[in-house]
Amino acid sequence: MAEQFASKRNIRFMLYEVFNAEELTQYEFYQDHSRETFDMIIDTIWKMGVDFLYPLYQELDKNPPQFVDGQAKVHPATRQFMRMCGEGGWINANWSYEDGGQQVPLLITFVNSLIMAAANCGLSGFPALTTGAANLILNFGSQELKDLYLEKMVSGEWQGTMALTEPDAGSSLADIKTTAVDTGEGYYKIKGQKIFISAGDTDATDNTIHLMLAKIEGAPPGVRGISLFVVPKYRYAKDGSLERNDIWCTGIEHKMGFKGSPICTLVMGENNDCHGYLVGEPHMGLSYMFQMMNEARIGVGIAAVGKATAAYYDALEYTKQRLQGRKPSQKDPTTPQVPLIEHADIRRMLLFQRAVCEGGLSLALQLSKYVDLAKVGVEPEKHELLVDFLVPIVKTFPSEYGILSTSAAMQCLGGYGYCQDFPVEQHFRDIRIDPIHEGTSGIQAQDLLGRKATMKNGAAYRLFMEEVKRTIAEAVEIPELKPQAEALAKGLEVMDDVTAYLLNVRKEKGPEEFLADANLYLEMTGLLAIGWQWLLQGIVAYRALQNQPSEGDTKFYRGKLVTMKYFFTYELPKANTLAHVMKTSQGLTANMDISLFDEE
Amino acid sequence: MKIAVCVKQTFDTEAKIVLKDGKISGDGINLIINPYDEVAVEEAIRIKEKQGGEVVVVCAGGDRATEAIRQALAMGADRGVHIKVNDPDVDEYARAVMLAEVLKEQGADLILCGHVAADDGSSQVPTRVAEILGLPHANVVTKLELGDGKAVCTREVDGGMEVMEVALPAVITCQVSLNEPRYPSMKGIMQAKKKPIANVDAVAVESKAKIIELALPAAKQAGKKIEGEPEDTGKQLAEWLLNEVKVEVKQ
Repeated sequence: MAEQFASKRNIRFMLYEVFNAEELTQYEFYQDHSRETFDMIIDTIWKMGVDFLYPLYQELDKNPPQFVDGQAKVHPATRQFMRMCGEGGWINANWSYEDGGQQVPLLITFVNSLIMAAANCGLSGFPALTTGAANLILNFGSQELKDLYLEKMVSGEWQGTMALTEPDAGSSLADIKTTAVDTGEGYYKIKGQKIFISAGDTDATDNTIHLMLAKIEGAPPGVRGISLFVVPKYRYAKDGSLERNDIWCTGIEHKMGFKGSPICTLVMGENNDCHGYLVGEPHMGLSYMFQMMNEARIGVGIAAVGKATAAYYDALEYTKQRLQGRKPSQKDPTTPQVPLIEHADIRRMLLFQRAVCEGGLSLALQLSKYVDLAKVGVEPEKHELLVDFLVPIVKTFPSEYGILSTSAAMQCLGGYGYCQDFPVEQHFRDIRIDPIHEGTSGIQAQDLLGRKATMKNGAAYRLFMEEVKRTIAEAVEIPELKPQAEALAKGLEVMDDVTAYLLNVRKEKGPEEFLADANLYLEMTGLLAIGWQWLLQGIVAYRALQNQPSEGDTKFYRGKLVTMKYFFTYELPKANTLAHVMKTSQGLTANMDISLFDEE
Repeated sequence: MKIAVCVKQTFDTEAKIVLKDGKISGDGINLIINPYDEVAVEEAIRIKEKQGGEVVVVCAGGDRATEAIRQALAMGADRGVHIKVNDPDVDEYARAVMLAEVLKEQGADLILCGHVAADDGSSQVPTRVAEILGLPHANVVTKLELGDGKAVCTREVDGGMEVMEVALPAVITCQVSLNEPRYPSMKGIMQAKKKPIANVDAVAVESKAKIIELALPAAKQAGKKIEGEPEDTGKQLAEWLLNEVKVEVKQ
């Protein structure tokens, strides 16, 4: 295992040099914060990462949860970590003082999430899920639900989950079958089955509180008939004591990776006695859940960045130490072998990883800052639209390219990378879930092209374009960055062109053909968005270099510039190919006869 | 009970140390509370939580020393005293005099310190402080029990342990096995901002020792790979050990 799993220097660069985190403290909500509190928060989580999380990373993989006595028996460190997060106030750090939080900007807590995920993605999921579930109760639940559940959840004593998926309804939530019948006594009777529920029933906490989607009897069909319920494992009896609810874990899945966090199958109402408590209004479940899903999707993107970053540092350390081969110019076989990093192809792979990891982090933090600004009323409509537009990209780019990045890390280690002696193969297995859970890449792509690109007459799309163009205008004035600024400007023209083309396809050929290549559209937009973030970082690094920084900082900023150049030279041009494919595919996949897959 | 804890700010133990002009370069290096002093802070907070009182953190250092004090305050200490020291090379004697001056004013019932600093590792300052203040002293303590006006200290000694009793006030140094320091909580971090830190000038005192030279450990030498059939490789290895490593063989 490498000594390093993430970079504090890069975190400082992102927070204070690129995104000016201190600027947020001018707003009343964040006014008690300062660079000092931000640093202390990050230092604390970093320490937790170094001392507690990272040393357990491989152990959790080697000792995966077991299904024992009707629940997932997880590594004992999970309970310890949940309590640590609860007692530390990390589960609800973003909440207002009034609600028991510390009004920390998302920009900071997402850096915490990055550190935790890089150090130990399996453990980091438990508090994050609880935060999401508690947020739903806080924002949409009755006062009674808040009083009964929130305190125990944010203290880390009770786990929160999001229970959406069913055997016949994964991506297609409109088809869920779990039912809720109003008893008229303040609760509904829930019946059905849920699968793949992360932390769905474990011995890490004393109770599990599911935020569950179900359909109230007689509800309209489709997504408009979905309601949201609190379904606890142990419910409150009339006398205020806790009693077992009729919800049972019937097994856990055996997964490829991300093993620290079990996924459970749940059965509700086998004895017709599963109590569920309605959150908010009937039939509004999906729109409430989308709030949690947005956070969860950003969280997945950040976690993917974290996993890929840890793999990158493994590859970096290894390639600096491992002697292998000679440079093409060294013809004499008796000369000493050189470290792997001396080979250009290894450097290419390392730069690819760095470009994906640091570019992905930058985009996620850009989005976080928009959320923070919207929250305090700074151009809320604009910032919310930008968030809407960017969520599918922040979720997908680090997930999909993160797989390629960890694969490149494995390649850097050669045969050892494929073996369990090094954790790279674990990172590779761990990250593979990210394009799947919390909405597959296919779902994200349809969300971006089918909804976000055209929402409010294209307002979100235009705002995104304006933000990127603002950075281009700044960069084009710096001769060293002009080629990249111009390349990105051309990329935006290509995006405009292909978007107009696809909207015309929708008009003339219908939604199937329009959305057939949505995934390509998402990848193209992702490349442009990451290019934007690299240009932004390039501007900051270039300017910093003009002020005679220290030797260490000079190397850091020059490293930023070379990675930016790598991205623009090797990766961004792929956007043109994707655009070309979208304009020439002519509904090849949408219109093909599926029987052509049959061989007999 | 009033407990004073002496903390030293040191380089992060993970930091890569670089020498520049014969001195350790602070460029981009993270500073932390000396990990042994962190154990002392934790112990003080636990005592306060159990029997009430006040925990005062005292740190002698440059401007950034307030970061170390704030971290201790975020863990749960009540207030801090920052002794402004401009010379980073101040020796253990002078540092002990500066700390003792402030500790005398504070009049604590118990003074806790880490038993060694992770940077220079000299283990001198707490013992010197005890000597200057004329207080009883127990070193490298792994278990601490407080009684009426006394402390029973279990301490590490070569090959075993020793239990000793000291009258309070006393200066006691902590070993890492004494406790597991807590992480600052979110609430603690926010409260730390509002807790008072008094800035005092260090008493004028000359160092008695000065650092002449700092050097990094020699870089690791590359290993040697011996290839061939076992009988050849054995011979080659023996020759290499004798002639190059110069292993002495006693007949």
